[in-house]
Amino acid sequence: MATYEVFLKKDGKDEFRHAGALDAANDELALVMARESYIRRAEGNKVWIVNRENLIVGDDDFVGPNADKPHRHHDGSAVAARRKAIRESDS
Amino acid sequence: MAREWKDLAEFEAFLDDGGIVEVDDDMPDEYRNAVFTFIEMHANSEYMGGLTERDWIPKTPGLRHKMSVLAKTQDEIGHGHLLYMVAADMGVKTRTEMLEDLMAGKSRFHNVFHYKAETWGDQVAIAFLVDAAALASQQAVFKNCSYGPYRRILKRIISEEGFHMRLGEDRMMRIAQGTDTQKEIFQGALDRWFWPALQLFGPDSKPNDVLLKWHIKSERNEVLRDKWVQKFVPMLQSYGFTVPAPDLTYDEETKKWDVGPIDWEPLKKTLAQGGPDSARRIGEARSNWERTAWARQALEASTS
Repeated sequence: MATYEVFLKKDGKDEFRHAGALDAANDELALVMARESYIRRAEGNKVWIVNRENLIVGDDDFVGPNADKPHRHHDGSAVAARRKAIRESDS
Repeated sequence: MAREWKDLAEFEAFLDDGGIVEVDDDMPDEYRNAVFTFIEMHANSEYMGGLTERDWIPKTPGLRHKMSVLAKTQDEIGHGHLLYMVAADMGVKTRTEMLEDLMAGKSRFHNVFHYKAETWGDQVAIAFLVDAAALASQQAVFKNCSYGPYRRILKRIISEEGFHMRLGEDRMMRIAQGTDTQKEIFQGALDRWFWPALQLFGPDSKPNDVLLKWHIKSERNEVLRDKWVQKFVPMLQSYGFTVPAPDLTYDEETKKWDVGPIDWEPLKKTLAQGGPDSARRIGEARSNWERTAWARQALEASTS
């Protein structure tokens, strides 16, 4: 038996999303199990399954640093303040 | 790398702050065991419920109902499968160990699956009253559950339980519009199932209930039970049935129904596997498990 992760995609504009996991004897049966457990009422029209052993997972420490890079964002507050000041002086 | 917390107090502060625990986090053992046991019981209940439903496939009246019973059986077994997966990932017991414990009467499942479904009327009462009670408890867990994998899987389970409840009310409406015999059959079922369904919520939550403290449950048992009473007492009456509670009263001021004192002895018996139908049900599940061993062995042998 192997454990598979199941990903579903609902329609053209959505991305694949993780739906859950299942145990199955082989890839073919895993697909059948995915359909019977996770796609019972049109929850998706595309399915990916991945044997959990083949998932390549990044550590939290590896992903973490990107959450602390404020220079990659801009909140536009200075420009917004100027626009607001102009609106208020016009009225 | 897994997140870790230096002690239980720091972990609890994380939970109180709306933190969501993931499977690879280094969660405290107390939390891991409590959440695992809760999910295991839910999984067992779906599985035992699915077997009950299956018993009725050959006896269901009419093709339309039969097809919906088939679908519901498959849904319930599927829910068990999804939940056993989430529970097994917590690393406390494997799925096989959980199933073996269930068959050996060592682990729990919901009280309602310790009773016998005597007639089709019982199946209608179960689909309507019991599924509604189970759905209300699951929704209260889904609302604010701190264990991420369980919360995500509950989302799909709840949407499917919604179908079951609507199916239950549809069946009840049909039986309520049926012949006098049909109405009698349903009233008999209601007399058998009203109290077990109400007891599914459990006795009043204890002040130190860790499932509330650790944000697994978001609502106290007595609050959920009362909501169910306020909804189902008038609904059953509106369909022309009698609620089997001799001390039932209605308070004109608070506009609330009160079913009177609740006898918790039957619930305690079911929790100790001593309900009216516990032995037969566990025995049936076990013989089913044994009869299908060859299929599991064949799958193991074919593992690629």
